[in-house]
Amino acid sequence: MNPMTVPVANYIALSAVIFFIGVAGVVVRRNPLIMLMSIELMFNAANLLFAAFARAWWHNAGHIFVFLVITVAAAEAAIGLAIVVTVFRSAKNVDVDDVALMKG
Amino acid sequence: MPVTMLHHVMGVDGYYPTLIALWLLPLAGAIVNWAFGPQLKRTAGPLGSAAIGASFVATLLLWGAATQHSADGALGAHQALFNWIPGWDFGLLIDPLALLWALIITGVGFLIHVYSIGYMDGDNAFARFFAYMNFFVFAMLTLVLSDNFVGLLVGWGLVGLASYFLIGFWFFKPTAVAAARKAFVLNVVGDVGIMFAIFAIFTAVHSITFGDAFAFAGSYGTPLLFVICLCLFIGAAAKSAQIPLHTWLPDAMEGPTPVSALIHAATMVTAGVYLIARCAPLWSQNPDAQLLVGTIGGLTALIGAILGCAQWDIKRILAYSTMSQIGYMIMGVGVGAYEGGVAHFFTHAFFKAQLFLGSGIIIHALHDEQDVRRMGGLLKKLPFAAWAMGTGVLAIAGIPGFSGFFSKDQVIYGMLTHGPHSHPWLYVLGIVTAGITAYYMCRLFFVTFFGAYRGDVDPSSLGIRHPELAGTPPSDHEKEPEVEHSPNAQWFMIVPVAILIPFTVLIGWIMFGGENSPWAHFFEQQFPHPALNVPAISEGLTGLITFAVVLVGIGIAYMRYATASAQSNAVERLRSESIHMPAILTHAFGFDYALDWLFVKPAEFLGRFFGRWLDPHVLDGAVRETVISAQWLGALTRSFQTGLVRAYAFILVFGAACFIVYYALAAGGFH
Repeated sequence: MNPMTVPVANYIALSAVIFFIGVAGVVVRRNPLIMLMSIELMFNAANLLFAAFARAWWHNAGHIFVFLVITVAAAEAAIGLAIVVTVFRSAKNVDVDDVALMKG
Repeated sequence: MPVTMLHHVMGVDGYYPTLIALWLLPLAGAIVNWAFGPQLKRTAGPLGSAAIGASFVATLLLWGAATQHSADGALGAHQALFNWIPGWDFGLLIDPLALLWALIITGVGFLIHVYSIGYMDGDNAFARFFAYMNFFVFAMLTLVLSDNFVGLLVGWGLVGLASYFLIGFWFFKPTAVAAARKAFVLNVVGDVGIMFAIFAIFTAVHSITFGDAFAFAGSYGTPLLFVICLCLFIGAAAKSAQIPLHTWLPDAMEGPTPVSALIHAATMVTAGVYLIARCAPLWSQNPDAQLLVGTIGGLTALIGAILGCAQWDIKRILAYSTMSQIGYMIMGVGVGAYEGGVAHFFTHAFFKAQLFLGSGIIIHALHDEQDVRRMGGLLKKLPFAAWAMGTGVLAIAGIPGFSGFFSKDQVIYGMLTHGPHSHPWLYVLGIVTAGITAYYMCRLFFVTFFGAYRGDVDPSSLGIRHPELAGTPPSDHEKEPEVEHSPNAQWFMIVPVAILIPFTVLIGWIMFGGENSPWAHFFEQQFPHPALNVPAISEGLTGLITFAVVLVGIGIAYMRYATASAQSNAVERLRSESIHMPAILTHAFGFDYALDWLFVKPAEFLGRFFGRWLDPHVLDGAVRETVISAQWLGALTRSFQTGLVRAYAFILVFGAACFIVYYALAAGGFH
């Protein structure tokens, strides 16, 4: 199948699948590293949509947004990992359910 | 009607620096004594006395200015001080009435200050005493020299404050503190009365000056005028110890004796007489108010005299006699016999100051013994005190020739000449009271000075049930360390009294001669002079009747206390009198209980109601309910904050899903 002829609905479906895998990862897993990776999955699902629509409508705005999202995702990953390292140092554990200091 | 355009000044307007000096000198003395007391030490006394003495000289210098009168009816001297709101003009006014009061306040006040140098010698708080005394004189001068009601009220309140300070001067005595508080509270009742009178006057004339208030007295309307007079009289009654607001005066004797002489006999307690005499233009237009005030005055005279017969404390006897004599004054000025009422103030200031200062000499000599039952036979020990007390007793009893006779006679005779129908019952009341006065004053004199000294007799055999309350037991006298007195301290006490004696004896003669007397001339322009009744009983006959009744009173006192047999078994007689004293007299007709039941008890009940029920259950309850609901709401919202990241993520996703579903449905579903 010529990639140019793949209908945009397929990209949307794939993106939705990847996004919900990410959501499930964040909600279900207790390891913050896995959760961060799941968040990356959700970002990339969105990126895929941007790229697909940009290609479908011949409009470069989507590509530009992809770069923005990748930048934000990199920053987010850096901060997220820093938090994980700090939590690990103080709790000797990286189970997010044990780190409930903000409980009201 | 607002009448602010017209402005009435009572005196001749001008610049009178002497008047300002007369007013402020005692304040300067008070401030210096207050600020530099520890440095001044013994000089505080002479300094305080000098301030009052200078003030007295200034008063004498103002004699001419105070008695001047102009063609347009202005009388005396008026010094404007400052204006505030339109209608609120403050100034000083000295006319014959104010001059008379200022003379007594500074003149007798000066003598009492000098006396205090001797009496308070050895007291730790010497300078504080003179600071208070000077402050009192300043406050009293503010009261009588003010040309408006608000200034008068300020002075009125300040004398109450000074009285509070001085009654509670020995603040380590619980009884003195209680007495001071009682006096202050009862006096504030009077202050509130005057305040309401000022409200009423200001509503009517939009001005607070005497000049405006009196010039339009005719336009008030009878009910309003009566209310104004009533409110003013509440103030006068509280300050001048008229029933039923008199109960503070006997208790006020807890203060040092010079205080009793100056404040609770000669000057402050006569402020009510001054107020009514000052407001003569108001009273003379309202016969109802005149009748009310005259009757209250007469009853106070009688009740005070009766209670004076039942007292054993020398100062309490004098306190009740003060109350009784002020009753005469109020009765006089009440019915419109202003010259008579004011005359009695004038003579009373001398003889009562002298009686108090004389009793101070006795109390001092006997080391703070005040119970007359433990005196006796002092004629030889204290001959000077006997002279002072003796002439004072003759003057207050109204022996012809002595000062009290002339003034009291004027008051009693005034009951017949004044009023639309004259006041025969008040006339009889006045004469009967004169007899009782003679009785209890002679009783005081005979018990104190005749017979044998009883200070070393066991108190219980004299009928004193609580010796610790009646004075120190005799055994303590030997142990008591002698207070160090400077050698001339007693002269400071004797000389002022010696100066007072001739006044007490002779000053009444200036009132002799009816309409042509110097006294009547002095007040010719001051008071309203309505047409007088011509009673069937002449003034001379009134004097004779009074004298006869007085002689009966003296005779009874002589029979009971001064005959040879009475003197020989005085101990037994005093004991029997003490024990058989009717309860109604020892409880002073129950005025204290009545006031307690009528005002104190309901106030306590209200306090308990608010404090123990309304506040904790209603007001605090509402606050508590607010707190509880806020806590409940907080607990509810807090329960969402689990702290679990995954829960937050789930809520986030769920929320986003809800949005999507909502918009999907709103758009009509997927195509």
